[in-house]
Amino acid sequence: NLHLITPGSRLLKSYRGGHVVIRFALGGCTNRPFYRIVAAHSKRARDGKYLEQLGCLDPLPNAHGEKVAGLNLERLRHWLGCGAQLSRPAEKLLGLAGFLPLHPMTITNAERLRRRRRPAQESVVPPAEGGSQEPGAPV
Amino acid sequence: MPGAPSPLFLPFAERACGAARVAEEEGSGPGAVMGGGRAARSLPLIVCDPPAEKREAKPAFTDEAVQDLLYRMTGLNLQKVFRPVRQELKPPKYRLLTEAQLQEATRKAVEEAKEKLRMPPVLDEREPIDDVLADDKVLEGTETAKYVFTDLTYATPHRERFIVVREPNGVLRKATWEERDRMIQIFFPKEGRRVIPPVLFKDEHLGTVFQQDRHEDILNMCIAQFEPDSADYIRVHHRTYDDIEKHAKYDLLRSTRHFGGMVWYLVNRKKTDGLLIDMINRDLLDDATSLITLYHMLHPECQSAKEAKEGKLHGIDLIKVFVKTESQKEGYIQLALQAYQEAMATSTAS
Repeated sequence: NLHLITPGSRLLKSYRGGHVVIRFALGGCTNRPFYRIVAAHSKRARDGKYLEQLGCLDPLPNAHGEKVAGLNLERLRHWLGCGAQLSRPAEKLLGLAGFLPLHPMTITNAERLRRRRRPAQESVVPPAEGGSQEPGAPV
Repeated sequence: MPGAPSPLFLPFAERACGAARVAEEEGSGPGAVMGGGRAARSLPLIVCDPPAEKREAKPAFTDEAVQDLLYRMTGLNLQKVFRPVRQELKPPKYRLLTEAQLQEATRKAVEEAKEKLRMPPVLDEREPIDDVLADDKVLEGTETAKYVFTDLTYATPHRERFIVVREPNGVLRKATWEERDRMIQIFFPKEGRRVIPPVLFKDEHLGTVFQQDRHEDILNMCIAQFEPDSADYIRVHHRTYDDIEKHAKYDLLRSTRHFGGMVWYLVNRKKTDGLLIDMINRDLLDDATSLITLYHMLHPECQSAKEAKEGKLHGIDLIKVFVKTESQKEGYIQLALQAYQEAMATSTAS
C-alpha cells in the first residue's frame, strides 16, 4: 500500500485508494501476445510497474500443441493472503489450472457454446434427410 | 461445477520413495564424500537413495563391495582423465616444484581424478505417470489446444514439482515424464540440456557416432540431456554398451566414469567373455579376478561360484574355473591365458 508522506517523488507514486490485483500484463509484439501474471497496484498502467511477477502465459500453442503457463503458487498464495484481488481472466486461468474451482463464466460460456452448436448441427441433419428422398422424384 | 477442492492445494508431502535429485553446484577442491551430496567440478551431480524394494539375495549397483570392484576395474589413467577438453585456449603455465611438492600435486590430481570418475547412477526405468486429478465434461469443445501449468516455486525439488495438463476435453491430468522434463528445462534451464532432445540420440544416428569411436562423448551428452531413469537414457546406454561389446572396444571407456556401468550391464547379461579376453591381453589380471568376483556376487547359483567358494580360489585358478564352466568363448580365453603365462615366464626368465 503506497500512501507516502512525499507525494511529489518521481520514483514512488502514491495513490488514493486502490488495492493489489493479480492480473495479466501484455507483452510481446504485433500479432504475438505474451502475458505475464503480475501482482500490481490496481491504479497502475496495465503494463507498468508491478510489485512482483508471479508467472506467465503464452496464449499461442507451441510445436507440441500446448499453451505453456507458469504459476509461482507459493508467491500467489502469499499475495492472496495479503488480500490481493484477481482479475477475471486470472480467475479463469487459475480455474483451468485447478488452483481455484472452475469459474462460473467458464461453465456458462461452455454451455452457451454447446447450445449454439447444437441447433447448427440439427439444422444440418434434416436437409440431408430431405435431400435423400429427392432422387425418387421425377425429373 | 465449482465444488471439487482445488487439487494443487494438496500438501506437498507426496514424496516419491527413492527420489533422485539432480543438482548442479560449483565445486571447490577434492576430498568429496561419496553419496554425501557434495559438489562435482562442473559435472552434473546426481545423488540417489538405494531403492526401497531391494531383494536381499541380489546385490545392487550402489553396494559398497560392488562399487569398490567396479572402481578398481575402471583404472586410473591420469593422462586420459585430464585430457584437454575442448575449451577456451590458454597458454600453458609452468611451475618449478621440488620432489615433495610434485608428489603433493600428483596426490591432489589423483583425488580430483577420483571425483571425475564418480559413476553415474544405474536405475530402473521410471513408471509412466497416469493420474487424473479432475474431469470437467462441461469444458468439452471450448478449447482447441491443451494448457500445461507448471509450478514455479523456486524451493521445490524438480521431482516434486506440480506440472498439470488441462486437455481440450476437460480432463485435468498430471503431465507425462517427457512433458515434465520439457517444462522444467524451459523454466529452469540446465547447462548442456536442450528442451527438445537432439536428433543424435535416435537409433539410426547412433551408428554414425559409433563408427567414429565417440562412445564416451555420446554417453556424456546423454547424461547431460536425460534423467538417469528415463527410457531414452537407458536405451542410449544399452545401445552403446552393446556396440562396444560387439566390436571389443572396451579400452575406449576404460578410465572414464562409464566403465562401471558398462561392466554392470555386461555381468548382468552374462556377456563377459570379450571383456575378460581384453583384460588378459592387456595383462590386467587383478581386473580379471575382480570381474569374476563380481560375476559370482551377482550370480551365486552358477557352477563356478560354488566351486570357487568351496576351494577358496584366487588369481589364475579362479579364472580357469570360470572359463571351464561359464564362458562361451572358452578356446579364446585359454589361448589368451597361455600367451599371458608364456609372457610372464619369459619376462621372469630374462
